[in-house]
Order: sequence, then structure tokens, then C-alpha cells
Amino acid sequence: MQTQNKENLFFESEFKKYRGLADFVAFKKIHEHTRDLSARNGKPDNIRSFDDSGLLIEIMCDGHIGYGATCQLTTEGIKSAFDQALKITEAASKHSVYKFNERVRPPANGEYISARQKSLDQISTAEIYDFLKTTSLKLKSSDQIITATSDAMIIECDQKYISSNGSDFHQNFNIVINSLSATAQSGPETQRRSLHGGRGNCRQIGAEHFNLQNALSECENISREAIELLTAENCPTETCDLILAPDQMLLQIHESIGHPLELDRILGDERNFAGWSFVQPKDFGQLQYGSPLMNVDFDPTVSDEMASYKFDEIGHLAEKKSLIKNGILQAGLGSLESQIRSGLSGVANARSSSWNRAPIDRMANINLQGGDLTLNEMISKISRGVIMFANRSWSIDDYRRKFQFGCEYGKLIENGQITKTLKNPNYRSVTIPFWNSLAGLTKPDTVETYGSPYCGKGEPSQIIRVGHSSPYAMFKNIEVFGG
Amino acid sequence: MDNMKTYLKKFSESIFSSLASSEDLGLFLHSEDSLFLRFNGSKIRQNTTVSQHEITLTYQADQKKISMTFNLTLNIETDLNTALKKISQARIDLPQTDISPKYVPLVNNGVSDVYKKIDRPSDEKISEIISELFQDSDLAGLWCSGPLRKASVNSKGQFHYFETDYFFFDYSLYNGPKAAKGFYASENFNVNEFKLKAIETKNKLNQLQKPTVQVPRGQYRVYLEPMAVAEILGTMAWQGLSQSSYKQGRAPLKKLKEHELYLSEKFTLLENFNLGLSPLFNSIGEISEPEVMLIENGKLHNFLTSTATANEYNLISNHANGGEMPRSPEIRAGTLNQANILKKLGTGLYLSNLHYINWSDLQTARLTGMTRFACFWVENGEIIGPISDLRFDETVYNIFGSGLVEFTNHQEIFVDTATYMKRSLGVLKVPGALIENFNFTL
Repeated sequence: MQTQNKENLFFESEFKKYRGLADFVAFKKIHEHTRDLSARNGKPDNIRSFDDSGLLIEIMCDGHIGYGATCQLTTEGIKSAFDQALKITEAASKHSVYKFNERVRPPANGEYISARQKSLDQISTAEIYDFLKTTSLKLKSSDQIITATSDAMIIECDQKYISSNGSDFHQNFNIVINSLSATAQSGPETQRRSLHGGRGNCRQIGAEHFNLQNALSECENISREAIELLTAENCPTETCDLILAPDQMLLQIHESIGHPLELDRILGDERNFAGWSFVQPKDFGQLQYGSPLMNVDFDPTVSDEMASYKFDEIGHLAEKKSLIKNGILQAGLGSLESQIRSGLSGVANARSSSWNRAPIDRMANINLQGGDLTLNEMISKISRGVIMFANRSWSIDDYRRKFQFGCEYGKLIENGQITKTLKNPNYRSVTIPFWNSLAGLTKPDTVETYGSPYCGKGEPSQIIRVGHSSPYAMFKNIEVFGG
Repeated sequence: MDNMKTYLKKFSESIFSSLASSEDLGLFLHSEDSLFLRFNGSKIRQNTTVSQHEITLTYQADQKKISMTFNLTLNIETDLNTALKKISQARIDLPQTDISPKYVPLVNNGVSDVYKKIDRPSDEKISEIISELFQDSDLAGLWCSGPLRKASVNSKGQFHYFETDYFFFDYSLYNGPKAAKGFYASENFNVNEFKLKAIETKNKLNQLQKPTVQVPRGQYRVYLEPMAVAEILGTMAWQGLSQSSYKQGRAPLKKLKEHELYLSEKFTLLENFNLGLSPLFNSIGEISEPEVMLIENGKLHNFLTSTATANEYNLISNHANGGEMPRSPEIRAGTLNQANILKKLGTGLYLSNLHYINWSDLQTARLTGMTRFACFWVENGEIIGPISDLRFDETVYNIFGSGLVEFTNHQEIFVDTATYMKRSLGVLKVPGALIENFNFTL
């Protein structure tokens, strides 16, 4: 604590030297401590830690905002970063996309701390390793399981932001990303099953996440289903009804709602890399994005979801906002800068991956509201269809229209009942027809919350943490196919 | 930071002197001083300068290891203090773990230093050069430049240091929704060469003025420009060439390894460090052979095998990095002359770029992805018009196997443009490819 106070005093005293040297100046200091451990077949695979500390300096010159970033947190290092950033920003301001003013940097004061029962600094590396070793051994339930992996990223992130127009806020995040997976092999057949696909099992939480009994129960299911897939039938190739479980919906929401609604994509900032968007400015308030069952919110206020915060990284107060209401597109995912450039409403979502990247429009938590069915009622409505669980493959075009996604595990539905397990379930469709084929959602008490630590975007590129919650969702007449 | 090597030497000597005889320590440095200029509408959206110096300590004892990465402040007292605290914590944590199957004892892999310098415009001039050259265009893209340093040092006396300075300009030009891709990187910035490249891209955009052709899904003969081939190779590199992926059941080329299927005899893939843009040493300081053959005339020669994987499975290492991704891959050229590409394509699709490729089925080595930027429908060797984007879903065994008609006799070199978390350092060299029966699904 004493060290942190000393660092904050240094940070504030350095800021005072520079706050009057441009039209606007802000300092954002980040320290992120990550422990990244994995155990494979009961033995250590990787035991790593990362301490990422640095400063992002924001400078506004003649309405243009430029950035200087340094990990040299010394008087000399900060001076060098500021001087260089000022020089480049002054030159760039003659060719800037847009002339902003201080309205895009509202004064913000306050604090955010992730909800937690026990801080992540209270669990030792040895305790985490034991958890991973025990669960990976449990996953290796048979010789057919050739790879049983349990891994965890434990992230403690501290942000402080101060600006020349009065911002002074602090945010502290505790995050756990915990994966369990089993790869089964028999002759030419190899199948993998995991806990909600890749690293979908992630949230803001403290050390209480590491509940061994719960995890061991999950391990049993995962390894049993991996072995079951070895002898399962391939997913049929046909057009039929489709139910997506929440751990696939997370990807569906992310790729076909989150990204196309980002205002910086609509404005063309991402055209050369991540891509543009099929959504046009005139579509807001008018486009029938999906069926009337579809209600989607931007919500960074959910206490345990992956991308919750009080302020975005330029000081904009984070609030819940409806993006799609009864199927009609309402609002986009644009920060204050994108809102002013586009004349559209947006949200508080200027975020960066760390101290070394400029904030851009990111999606944070995007959540699909529940409906009125139980899962059994939903299945009973289908004469022939497939239910798919846990993402394993994803691809979508640069306008976010044509997608193809694959899942780990499927079940065939015939005459309103689940009849058999399917391997290699995939589906493909086009965003707007797909969401307009939404024909049912399970009740709010079935909503599950997942996320991803790896949403990629931006030039230079950035990964960001996102959260998505969803019920089970039923879609009519979708192309499905197998391996 | 011109004297990073000196700083690293001082830092490492102090740290190594604190070790007990039973302990070993490896250091891996990534250091960059970068300029990023982000463009939209041929104007600057964001400029960011980054000074990022990251050191990874790998502490080893009793056949166990822990790695710890932190940022250097370049204040020696502060950085040594941080490193010593990390090592103290490792001394507590390590005994509570088990012996690592991937344990690699540290050895002295020698001493080397490589410095590469280039000529390029000053950082303040770049925004003006690009904005003025493209003021008649709608451009989006990224300029990236500046020094980048890598080093691998250990307590056995090893000290490999590599410092380069390079730039690239990765961009695209637009006419409404129609777009053409441009790219410029060179050992030295030549303004005339830069302008010629810009004109080429502008001309390509003009070719897109013809009416768009709606091509239905189906199988087509295609020509992939080198950049499109590079996109496929980039995805293949992800798990596809890794020994540990194969051993752990994640290998898309399992059937190639087990002689069930082969690629075309015209397909040869190797690691070629003679391309010269990557350091010869890997993260633990091992020096690769100048050429490492991976797939030769359609048959698997070697997966990329790190010493960690080799130790675990009792194999021979070819000194791949820990991730077993290629660092300097080359697909050998073929015989197709550039002037004959459209004629040899006949009727089909001319694809300049692909996008968002991912494995759709690892077991059958199937890839899915999209066409992007300037892609055309061609009939009888004549460009008819640009196409609406198509999704493909096709196996590597067809793309570089039964469907491969020929590679071009010219290759292009692409520097790694990845900038996630930090700048990547690498290069690949590939030809264009004429392929038949390429499967488009949406």
C-alpha cells in the first residue's frame, strides 16, 4: 500500500508538469498482474506471470488527439514520451480526421472495484497449481483422453486516470479465466470437449472462483462427452431448425451484433483491418435487425460480467443502453468521439488493451434478454433440428454478413425430442435473415454469462475483454452440416 | 534507446551474480520504440508513439521452471529490484510444483549481435507524405515504424542480441464499398518506389469500376495472388505445423504425417532464415539451421519441433520457438508466368485477398474464410467484373494438394504486420497459386 501511494504521488507530480503544455492532457497509468498457469495430464505445462506497467499520455493539439506511451516510469522516461507525443501530434493535427474539443473527455471522478468475496492476491500460485493439477487428472478419465488440460489466467488490473480538465478516477479489476478441456482419440477420430468452449468461461470474480468440487463435476461431464463424440454420428447436412446454447450464443452475439454495431467500423476506421459494417447510419431506429423476440443491451453495470466498469477509459460514465428493442435497431456502440463524428447516439466504450494502445470503440458486455420458454418446451416445438453447444470455429466477413460457425457438441432433435449425439456440428447463414429467423428464447432464469479475453481489432491491434450473456435461442430453417 | 545491449549486459550480469549454483536463469528481451499512424479518409485518425521494453525471466531449478515477464523502466536500480523480487517469489513457488515434462536445461548457445539500420523519413514527415500522396483517394490503413530489439541471454554465458529498424505501410483504397489493397515495405524508404506502389493500387481500384458480378456458390477454378496465399499459410501456421499440436491431438495435418494423404508434388514449404528479417535465435537462444524443410514435394518432412517438445516426446528438436509457429516460412515458386495468369485461369475467380480464415474442421484440414478487396470474375482469360464477397470452405489437401494446378514463378515477401500487444517480427515468402475445384459455400 505504501509503495502504491508513493507511485501515485509520483504519477500526480509528474502530471502537474505537463497538464498545461497542450490544449488538453491526460495521464492513464495501468498496472496489470497476470498469473497464467496450465496443467496437462497432471503435470505443469506453463507457469507464467506477467506484470504490465506503463503510462498512456493523451494530448490534444488543435482538436486532434494523439498518444504517447511508455513503460519507462521515470522522470526522464515520461518527459521523453511526452515530448515525442507532442511533436508527432502537432504534425498530425494538420492532417487530422476530425477536430474534437473537450466534450469528448468529460471530467470524471470516482472509483470502481470488481465485486469479490476474496481478493485474487489472497490465493497463492501453489494453490492455483494444485487446483489445475487435480482437475486435469480428473479430466483424464481414460486412456482415450490423450490430452487433459486445465488452465487459468488470474488477472489483477489497476487503472488510474487524471486529466487537465479535472478527471481523477481509479478502477480495479479482479478477473478469472478458467478452462477445462479433454481431447479424446481413437484411431483416426479425434474429438475435443471443453468447459464452454476455449476461454469462454471468464468473469470478474475473486479467489472464490476456485471451487474444486464444482470443477471436478464439470470435468466428469467434459471427459465423458469427449469420449462420447468419438462414436457419434456426423452432424447431417440439411436445412432445419437450430437451437444454440448460451456458450455458442456468446460468439453469435459477439460477431453478428457486437462488431457490426461498432460506430468506428461504420465510420470506416477499421476498414483496412477488422473490416467495415453492413449497418448504415440511417439504419438506427429503423432496421428490423431480428425478430420481435430480440432484445439486446449494452450493459457494463452487471456486477460479475467480464467487461463491467464505472467509466470507459476517457472518463465517460458507463450506463446500460438498449441496442436492439423488439428486433428494431436502436443504438450503436460508439464512444464520445465516434458519436460526435457520426451524429449518432452511442455508449461509454472507449477502451484500450493496455497502456500502449489508444482507446477505440469496443463492445464491453452485450447481452441478449431471455424469453418465455423452458428448454424442454423449446425442444418440443421442433420436428427436426439440431442443438449445438460450445464454440470451436468461427469466421465472418468484413461487413459482418456471411458467417460460418462450428461447435464442439451437438444433439439431434426429432419429433420434439433429443434422439442422438452429433459430432462436428456447424452452421452458416447471413446476419439479418438469421436473426429474423429467431423463433424462441428460454426464460431469464436460464440465461448464462460468458465472455472472451481475446476480441481482436484496431490498428495497431488490440485484444480486449468482452462479456456476453444469453438464454438458449431457437432459429428456423438454418443450414447445418458436419465434418 | 540506442544502448539497450549495454543496459541488458549490466542488468543480466547483476542478476546472474545473485543466483545459487543450483539455479539457472534465462532472459528474453522484447524492446521497441514504435510510431503508429492510423489513417482513415487519407487523414490521421490516431497517432501513438510507444516505448515498450519487456523482459522475461525464466527461472529453473530441479527440472522445474517458472517464467516471469515485466516491463523495464530502464532505471537499473528499479529494474534490478523488480527482478530480484520476482526471483525470490519463484524460489517460494517453484518447489510447490512438479517436474516439467517440457524442461530444457539451459546451455550456452553462443554469443552474437546483429544490427540492421534503414533509411526512412522522420516521424514528423510521414503524416504529410501520406496525406498528400493520397489526397485524391479514400485511404484507410496503418503506418508502423521504429527500432525493434530481441535478445536471449542466460546464466550459462549465452548472449544473443538482434536489433533492427523497419517500417511498413499497410493500407487499402476505397471507392464506396469497392476496395483495393496496398502494401509497402522495403529495406530503405524510396519515395519514387512508394509512389509507384500507390499508383498500382489506385489502378487496381479503377479496375473495380465495372459492374459487380453475382457469383453463386459452387466450385470454381481460382487464382490466388501471393497475399491471398500468405493468408492461407498464416492460418496453416496456427497449429498446422506444430509437433506438440500433433502429439496432443490438435493437428490438421495428421493424415499427412501418417501417410494417409499427401499434398501436391508442386508444394514445398520450408523455414528459410536466409530471408534475413528474423533473428536466427529462438527465445531460449538456440540457433536454427538456415533452412528447415517442413513439407517437400507434398510429403511431410518435419513438423516444427521445439526442444521442449522434443524432450517431452523423445524426438529431435529443430529449434522451433515454444509456440512452434514458423518464423520465416517460404513456399517455393512454381512455373506459372505472371503474364499467363489470366489465360491459364480461363474462367473462374481472381482473388487478391482472403479474410478471417479459420479451421472449420481440424480432422479434415478444412479451412473457411472470405474473399476480400479486389476479387474478380474472369471469363476466357478476360476480367468481367468484381464479385460480391464469397465464403469458401475447403481442405488444405485440395488447396495445396489435388486442386493445385501451379504456383507462379514469382514470389512476394511480406513482413509480419501483427501488432497485438507488441510488434511481431517475421517474414514470409510465397508465390501466387492457380487452383481448381475450390469450394465456395455462401
